Amino acid sequence: MINMMTTRTAVVAASLTCLLALPSVAQPQPPPASTSAAVRVDSDTISGLGSRNIGSAAMSGRIAAIDAVHEGDRLTLFIGSASGGLWKSVNGGTTYRSIFDKQPVMSIGAVTIDPTNPKTIWVGSGETWTRNSVSVGNGVYRSQDGGDNWANVGLQGSERIAKIVVNPTDSKTVYACATGPLWSDSDQRGVYKTTDGGTTWVKVLAGANGSSGCSMLAMDSQNPGTLFAGMWDFRRKGWTFRSGGEGAGAPSGSGLFKTTDGGATWKALDSKNAGGLPARPWGRVAVTIAPSKPSVVYALIEAEPPANGLYRSDDGGNTWQLRDRSQGMVWRPFYFANLIVDPRNEEKIYKGGGSLIASNDGGKSFSDITGGGHGDYHAVWIDPKDTDRLIAGDDGGLWYSYDGGNRWWKADNLPVSQFYHVSVDMERPYRVYGGLQDNSSWVGDSQYPGGITNSRWENMYGGDGFWMFPDPTDPDYLYAEAQGGEIGRVNRKTHETRGLKPLPGYNEGKLRFNWNTPIHVSPKGTVYLGAQFLFRSSDHGQTWDRISPDLTTNDPTKQRQEQSGGITVDNSAAEMHTTIYAICESPKNSSVLWVGTDDGNLQLSRDAGKSWTNVVANIAGLPKNAWVSSIDAGHFDEGTAYATFDLHTFGDMKPFAYRTSDFGKSWIPVVGQGGPVRGYAHVIKEDLVNRDLLFLGTEFGLWISLDGGKQWAQYKGNDLPSVAVRDLAIHPRDHDLVIATHGRGIWIVDDITPLRALTTEALNKEVLFVDSKPTVQRITASGGWVNGDAQFVGANPTSDAVITYYQKKRHIFGDLKIEVLDSDGKVIGTIPSGKRRGLNRVQWSMRVGPPRVPTAASADFSANRGPRVPPGTYTVRMTKDKSVYTTALQVISDPRSKHTAGDRKAQFDLAMKLYRQLGEMSFAVDRINNVRLALDDRASKVPADDPLVARLRNASAQVDELRRKIVATKEGGMITGEERLREYLTALYSDVLQYDGQPSHTQVERSEALGRELGDVVKDFDSWTSKQLASINTSLASKKLPLIEPLTKEQWEKPIEN
Amino acid sequence: MLRRLLTFAGILLFTTPLFAQTADDIIAKFVKTVGGMEKIKAVTTLRRVGKYSRAGGFEAKITQENKRPDKVRQDFMLQGMDGITAWDGKTGWKIEPWDGKKDPEPLGEEELKSIIEDSDLDGPLVNYRQKGNKVEYVGMEPVEGTDAYKLKVTLASGDTRYYYMDTDYYVPIKIESTLIIRGAERTYESSLGDYKEVAGWYLPFSIEVNTKGSPNRQKYTYERIEANVPIAEERFKKPSLPTNDGKPMAPDAADKQPEQQQKKEEKKPPVAALQHVASQEEVRGSVR
Repeated sequence: MINMMTTRTAVVAASLTCLLALPSVAQPQPPPASTSAAVRVDSDTISGLGSRNIGSAAMSGRIAAIDAVHEGDRLTLFIGSASGGLWKSVNGGTTYRSIFDKQPVMSIGAVTIDPTNPKTIWVGSGETWTRNSVSVGNGVYRSQDGGDNWANVGLQGSERIAKIVVNPTDSKTVYACATGPLWSDSDQRGVYKTTDGGTTWVKVLAGANGSSGCSMLAMDSQNPGTLFAGMWDFRRKGWTFRSGGEGAGAPSGSGLFKTTDGGATWKALDSKNAGGLPARPWGRVAVTIAPSKPSVVYALIEAEPPANGLYRSDDGGNTWQLRDRSQGMVWRPFYFANLIVDPRNEEKIYKGGGSLIASNDGGKSFSDITGGGHGDYHAVWIDPKDTDRLIAGDDGGLWYSYDGGNRWWKADNLPVSQFYHVSVDMERPYRVYGGLQDNSSWVGDSQYPGGITNSRWENMYGGDGFWMFPDPTDPDYLYAEAQGGEIGRVNRKTHETRGLKPLPGYNEGKLRFNWNTPIHVSPKGTVYLGAQFLFRSSDHGQTWDRISPDLTTNDPTKQRQEQSGGITVDNSAAEMHTTIYAICESPKNSSVLWVGTDDGNLQLSRDAGKSWTNVVANIAGLPKNAWVSSIDAGHFDEGTAYATFDLHTFGDMKPFAYRTSDFGKSWIPVVGQGGPVRGYAHVIKEDLVNRDLLFLGTEFGLWISLDGGKQWAQYKGNDLPSVAVRDLAIHPRDHDLVIATHGRGIWIVDDITPLRALTTEALNKEVLFVDSKPTVQRITASGGWVNGDAQFVGANPTSDAVITYYQKKRHIFGDLKIEVLDSDGKVIGTIPSGKRRGLNRVQWSMRVGPPRVPTAASADFSANRGPRVPPGTYTVRMTKDKSVYTTALQVISDPRSKHTAGDRKAQFDLAMKLYRQLGEMSFAVDRINNVRLALDDRASKVPADDPLVARLRNASAQVDELRRKIVATKEGGMITGEERLREYLTALYSDVLQYDGQPSHTQVERSEALGRELGDVVKDFDSWTSKQLASINTSLASKKLPLIEPLTKEQWEKPIEN
Repeated sequence: MLRRLLTFAGILLFTTPLFAQTADDIIAKFVKTVGGMEKIKAVTTLRRVGKYSRAGGFEAKITQENKRPDKVRQDFMLQGMDGITAWDGKTGWKIEPWDGKKDPEPLGEEELKSIIEDSDLDGPLVNYRQKGNKVEYVGMEPVEGTDAYKLKVTLASGDTRYYYMDTDYYVPIKIESTLIIRGAERTYESSLGDYKEVAGWYLPFSIEVNTKGSPNRQKYTYERIEANVPIAEERFKKPSLPTNDGKPMAPDAADKQPEQQQKKEEKKPPVAALQHVASQEEVRGSVR
């Protein structure tokens, strides 16, 4: 079994490579890496530089599929997201875990729990809600342990799968409804069947042509040999989409099929043999069987109006009746074609759409039950035990209803947000800006005391969101946009918005703005916007200068969006083509402008837009009309630029990225074919400091090259999955890499400085400290509040100092010890070391070790840490077996802090004084205890009738009185309210530690008062010992019992023998 | 010894085809690499002494004492107080003195599962069949850049552990533990390193534990591990209830002379005790 899985995995990997390596025009290869420097640079070399996901789940993202099962009385949920993987909850949705993150694709089309074994989960990868931005899958996956481990079990070329059904009487018999590739012809689509649990698959129903696949599949659970399949003829191109044939009345491969023999034979149902069905051609077809009465079958058929709508059969598909064809039923069938019947009531039916609609009368009429949900529903699950309980997924995430859909709870814990772009500002801490698929444009905190909750993100605009920038000239304003170039300037405080979109002139015709219209904002605040022309504004959009001719191919055959849609016209601006898609002004020379178009032009102006040259023909080997997905003008010289090209809309999923160093005259590829990089390329960024350091975002993750593109490695820090990376921003001040994923929100790699240091020479070292940016001692602060378990909270960067080192091999045996030394060479901290191969990050709290705190009735956790050391330079020393390495660690104060160095010193000095006082107090208490326990001990060794016993007991009580002046002693786990010197001192100590600035006079005075009060007790004890102990010892000596000597400081300071 | 060990492991590396692994092969090599069954069997007690730390400068001393066949005691020391979790082979108990309550309490379900697991002195792989554990090789899976064999260990309790064994040396470098607590899963990851010899047996001196998916790691660094030190049976026994004078019989750190303080550490976190500490700290933090 195990070997089989392994073999299968290998097969999958091989097939995937084939899939992504479709033959295309041969390209020149980048020069091979020098063999003398053959250091393995892979994912693990770089991923020790962890990342953090800041979400958000406030907007969440599209949910494509849902299944759930009662395990005992608990509800287990599997939520398939459009492009953010599969999520599991074992507590009805209170918490979720992403369980698909090790897989090479993140798009889920179908998820099905085996009805007889809830630990067997089937996933069809590749969403079938085929909007322009849809991701891709690579076949069927199966888990036999509830989602912990997955095996790809076939149909790797299917790209998308709409449904999987499992025979309820035979777990090994499974059908997959393979919709197939969106962008190209393929025969890897149709209905597939396995009878051996996924080992082998047989296509039991093929499409009528290369573009027709299965759009929905339904099984009669009482008679599992009976199935209905919807077949769908569809195709998307960069400039058009069709659901059905080539044009409204054109022949189409779509159809509705029925089998009663488990797929061996199928009958095509149509108006001729199944009365009541509409005449062909059809577009998308959805079909479902009422579980409570399988003779009732519903089908949504995209036919030519007025025959489009919901059809119902009461005789198992022999005859049909047209039922509802309301707007909610027939709107955008390519995006909404899923019918869900109440498991107990065949008259009750739900359908997703712009709104969620429900019928109680067998489909005759429907009501809108969206309530407070987002809209654009794709999936609904109905609890068979309580059919008032619904779970629905839409473009805004996941929703729960407990009253049959009247009202909805939002899931606030699914960070599957689909960002298109990201930018940052220069606030401290900086904020993150970005727009999302159908979820507007948001600003979020990159860090916040207590964590980045959903409420730390603020919606600033509307519609679908894309590019978004702070206005560098006025911090109160930002630019955002909605689809099709609807750019606006927003006051972030009042949210007043001014629409700025350039408009056509007299008789001009249409300005062609891409769905995802590029905006570029220069550091000086110049705004660029692309239609087919490039627009520029230097006055916040008050006026636009048109600074180019039509820079596209202006190909009229790609401008027929009014006919787009197929059977049902669907012209939403999503197919607008022959547009500008990428704009970049050179950071070295603002007159050098780069523009890329969605139809394959790469244009350069070196005179601020006066003249333009199309340089794309200079890129040898690049297929024609490749979508220019991003341009990054070089940060080191104005002749350098990088560009990524995307051919996935032609069915070619390979990455294409090139560099020029001579203003586009010549180009070399920076991503070699046959290398590890997978997925079509969305974005490339050159580092701001090290020109050999490149970042590449593709549909399947983030890739990093340390050597200008010769070698690439996938970055997987903190388990960043193979999710589409649509955009990247490098913070110019903080050196963080901000990653915009389309499916998993924003991720941040804090401080990429170490990557800049990973030269070939460095990589060849066994062990090496790697430079990081100076450590900021962040202001001590708390924020947020208890949120329960059902909220996403994005992680902050650590508040500790971060020390980075590189190891050529994993450390397994022997010591690997890291210490921090102060300027006197004294060890002030020991840090547990990281063991991994490649980059390691370890943290130092920047605190002196915890003080010795006197033992009392209860612990004081606030006093269980030492004062934070002052800013300065410290030395880090690593000992690996017998080798010793050192590096300097710069610690600086938080730039937001107004405390002077003098203030900080005063705070540290007082904190250390209190720290020492706690030590003195511990010594005093231990001295007293030492004598007290010795007195008790001697008393127990003297015959009970000896008067010495009473004397010893009495003496013990006397010294205990002194102890009770220092520490609280009432035990029992209650709030005793008992406070003594220790409680006063620890409270003062933790107050002083909490604030880095000058301590108050009250605090200083209090420290003195407490010091004196402690001194008084110590004096009393000394006086008691000098008066009493000598005579007690005389008595003890006479009985040959050991004498009692108070602890000396030397004895006390001796390390405790554990 | 280390050099000998490395040489030995190197031979294994070059002579063993990677694809022909079984769980028994891997475990046999693991046992050999860490010193051999004889050495392991010869150890009857282990005392680990070290430090617990986590981000923000929180530190505590920890010890763990194990005694065959199945006794264990873990101590977590702070400000002279001693938090104890123990299992004497029949009964699990704890003392959480942090708020002044020093009498022994029964363990919660999660704590009990953890402590019973920790009572297995040589871990679930060694003699796994005798212990009622099941082990299955489920394939190769890299751990932070190091190739590893993944073993699925189903404990006698029914809980599952994934052991990731380094392919060069066959020692565990990561353990993934899923505990089923009140029907809900909790998954922890432990990273193991700094293997050093103790009485001829190589044991990890460094363990980092985090809740799966969380970057916050709790770190256990042992300063020393002693084998075959005498450990009195009473250390594992649940102390009697407080006597009439209200004085608890449990060890009270305040009633110990500093020189006599003895603390123990654990190889895994006494999860509940730590959570208690953490929640105390956080609650106090937020009240301020």
